[in-house]
Amino acid sequence: MWVLLAAIGRSATTLRDECLADQLALGRIARGDHSALAELYDRHARLVFSLALRILQNRADAEDVVQDVFTQVWAQASRYDTARGAVAAWMLMMARTRAIDRLRSRSSRPETATEARVVEAVPDVTARQDLQLLSAEQVESLQDALNVLPVAQRVALELAYYEGLTHAEIADRLSEPLGTVKTRIRQAVIKLRESLVQ
Amino acid sequence: MDAIKDDERPELEPPILQGLAQAVPQVDPPPELRARLLRSVSTSPTSTFTSPRPVAWWLATAASLALVAGLTIYTAQLRTRITGLESELRDTRARADAAQQLMIVAQRTATGAQTAVAILTAPDVARVDLAGQQPVSPSASARAFWSRSRGMVFNASNLPPLPAGRTYQLWVVTAQAPISAGLLTPDIQGSVSEVFNTPPDIPQPIAMAVTIEPAGGVPAPTGDKYLVGTL
Repeated sequence: MWVLLAAIGRSATTLRDECLADQLALGRIARGDHSALAELYDRHARLVFSLALRILQNRADAEDVVQDVFTQVWAQASRYDTARGAVAAWMLMMARTRAIDRLRSRSSRPETATEARVVEAVPDVTARQDLQLLSAEQVESLQDALNVLPVAQRVALELAYYEGLTHAEIADRLSEPLGTVKTRIRQAVIKLRESLVQ
Repeated sequence: MDAIKDDERPELEPPILQGLAQAVPQVDPPPELRARLLRSVSTSPTSTFTSPRPVAWWLATAASLALVAGLTIYTAQLRTRITGLESELRDTRARADAAQQLMIVAQRTATGAQTAVAILTAPDVARVDLAGQQPVSPSASARAFWSRSRGMVFNASNLPPLPAGRTYQLWVVTAQAPISAGLLTPDIQGSVSEVFNTPPDIPQPIAMAVTIEPAGGVPAPTGDKYLVGTL
């Protein structure tokens, strides 16, 4: 299990407490406690907004995603099994799914029926990964690895993650052969994985 | 989708996905968004009210309506239904409309409901939220209102069904030994509501817990904890 403690700007102990506090807040949300939702918002809205903004490149749309995510948390709190992962990680996953859906409808790009996206959207409350927030050090390490990736690899990976494209769509966007795109993403992932193992 | 499984597709495992989610430039959302969000959820129900699973039910008299409405945020969210008291209560959960956000407590005696309201309105009432425990009861939850002078109202939901020969027992945990408040038998949907008389002179409670015990209860807890909450 990848149990990694601390978040950007916060110490390891603080985040471990926060992770527990998030679970307790979720319990209170399930009983209708608005202050618990506000608590979650104050802790994690920045993370959620930042990811939505990166994907949508539009503040108003990103704000809508934040509202949607926290509204979904409000509605589904009692159905979320915290054994499946940290609340914040769940919210980030929801944010990505919603932002990419918005992106696709914005460009009215049809859902490709024959090929799955490189990074699949996972049904929110049934996500099976054991997700945790990464520590500030881990994120920095990953950012450094991203920064030294060859541009072609980085672009392919970012199209896969932040735009939710399929291999074929990326190949089309970059005017490169499908095999080349797959190789680039695979190589990028290997390097990122190495950066996280430290 | 598995038919097109591609073993050249890289495994973007969770930590990498998580890292990519967090690695973006961090930007604060505008302050108005927080207010907008909280305004919009204040009018929408939470999952406990809209899910098909049962919630705890409170029974209140018409005369007590104003008192109940004046209580904590939790009770203020309840819309109590005005109804008569019955000496024998049946499980009405299957018929109740969850979307109306009703909370009704099933009482065993005609005076039970009056006691419940008295406890809720007591000046010394304390609220305890109890949470389910891994691995036995992860989705169980409970709430207790305890007044030293008037007793305890306890309601729980999503308790696992009891095996034969077992019961749930509610404990008030103090700095000394835990004190049994009483026994609980959930209905088939895992819900239970009870009013207990608690001795007024018990030591200051620290926490409450529900354990599983042999039928008839025991003088001290022996079984697994199914619900735990601190004061």
